[in-house]
Amino acid sequence: MSFWEKATGSDLTREWRAFEARAEALPHDHRAAWGQIIAHLFPYGDFTGRNLMPILDDALGLLEGAAADGRSVHDVLGDDIRDFCAALAGGEGARTCHDRWREQVNRNVARKLSRLGG
Amino acid sequence: MDDLTEMLKGTLEGCVLHIIGSEETYGYAITRQLNELGFTDVIEGTVYTILLRLERNGLVQVTKRPSGVGPPRKFYALNDAGREELAKFWAKWQYLSSRIDKLKEGGR
Repeated sequence: MSFWEKATGSDLTREWRAFEARAEALPHDHRAAWGQIIAHLFPYGDFTGRNLMPILDDALGLLEGAAADGRSVHDVLGDDIRDFCAALAGGEGARTCHDRWREQVNRNVARKLSRLGG
Repeated sequence: MDDLTEMLKGTLEGCVLHIIGSEETYGYAITRQLNELGFTDVIEGTVYTILLRLERNGLVQVTKRPSGVGPPRKFYALNDAGREELAKFWAKWQYLSSRIDKLKEGGR
């Protein structure tokens, strides 16, 4: 990743376009599942969403493979796409914006408390 | 047998390690093997998240190979760390199953 890409996120835009093009080629059900996966993974993203890119790439690959083999979304992902996404993102150890905000609040509160306590 | 999923959760990773340990293979084939073994509840999505975890923990070696249809498939093989983990899994399994059997038989 060049500095330009890092600063502008231009590589992310390019990757998104590539994802969209691949998703376009999927059958209807699989494309719908892809939409749900994006929605459920979104909360796990960091500020730019860069950490999600490899996860999304893998998930899209799974859907493409399923579609090519003629297997349904239900066969592959079961009933609970949210659960699947949590498992995908969970092992990542990726810290989300929420984690960082929570830490910041905790730190600030702790600092103020210790100052009060002397 | 239905509704095994809860009980299987912790052991499925070991099962997947074992399957990969016997030959290099890919997600859907692993799922089918588990299904044929009688774990009919196991779906590819579950196996897939396990494979990702194994990959992140550096236990497997991944090779992308073109498949007849669709995108290239990811094939998985155990590396040294993976083989070590598999040996640990069987040791833990042995311990657990022997304790539970003992409990059932009423021993102490």
